[in-house]
Amino acid sequence: MAYEELLEDPVIQKYLHELVGPTGMPVAAAPPDGEVTDEELAEELGLDLNDVRRALFILYENDLASYRRLRDEDSGWLTYLWTFQYDNITEKLEEEMHRLLDALAERRDYERNNEFYLCEQDSIRFEFGEAMEFGFECPNCGGQLVDMDNDRLVDAIDQRIEKLRAELNRPPESEPEAEA
Amino acid sequence: MAEDLTDDEERGLELITREGGIHQSDFWKELDVSSRKGSRIVESLEEKGYVEREDTVYEGHNTYLIEPVLDPADLDFSMLMAGDMLSPFVGDEEIDANSDKFSQWIMSLAYQ
Repeated sequence: MAYEELLEDPVIQKYLHELVGPTGMPVAAAPPDGEVTDEELAEELGLDLNDVRRALFILYENDLASYRRLRDEDSGWLTYLWTFQYDNITEKLEEEMHRLLDALAERRDYERNNEFYLCEQDSIRFEFGEAMEFGFECPNCGGQLVDMDNDRLVDAIDQRIEKLRAELNRPPESEPEAEA
Repeated sequence: MAEDLTDDEERGLELITREGGIHQSDFWKELDVSSRKGSRIVESLEEKGYVEREDTVYEGHNTYLIEPVLDPADLDFSMLMAGDMLSPFVGDEEIDANSDKFSQWIMSLAYQ
């Protein structure tokens, strides 16, 4: 098996699981050295060939596997030889960190610029405008909507944004990089 | 830190990484070495692939902006997690900052 050290990282395991799902996980979690066919993998792992193919294709779509086709001279059948390309995983996760950072920044603005009301019974949150339309009564249960403080959410978002920026070496947008 | 670096280079790389980027004209002053020595340190770090330089104008003169080269393998990927939830944008092409999945992720971040 290749990439053993990489696959010890629980976040990387989670990432692969998210991509290929539980049925594909045996394929994703045990990348062989060198090239392998889908049939070989299915036999080795004791899995349904279609499940193996599905997992390989998802990995391919995410740049984590590649294949080349060989034609058998006698039978004319095509064989797919797969190579796992897990060297790309760290770059992919870096990209995910950037995407998460962008989303957090957008969400923080939304959280800061809106007031929220909560139905404590149903745990549903409404923006101020919505709450007003409903006369500050929950459209679901009719209960009273109460003013909701989102400071804790905003704090948690702020902290994670700061950590991500430091880790990714991305300066805050509001403060230009080249300050003299 | 890396083993193929001299003490001065290591100090220099530490400074560049800490600052996230620094102008060469500030670099040698901060490091308390001559400008010539400073530029030798940066050249060596660049050659070994630890930093990148680009031409820039800073305080009215030409200099370099030195930035660290990040190896994605050194990143702390746990920042994608909130509790035991992975970033909901993994595997999705679109980013919806107001999706329910992201709300759950943020709740987990705030109240884990």
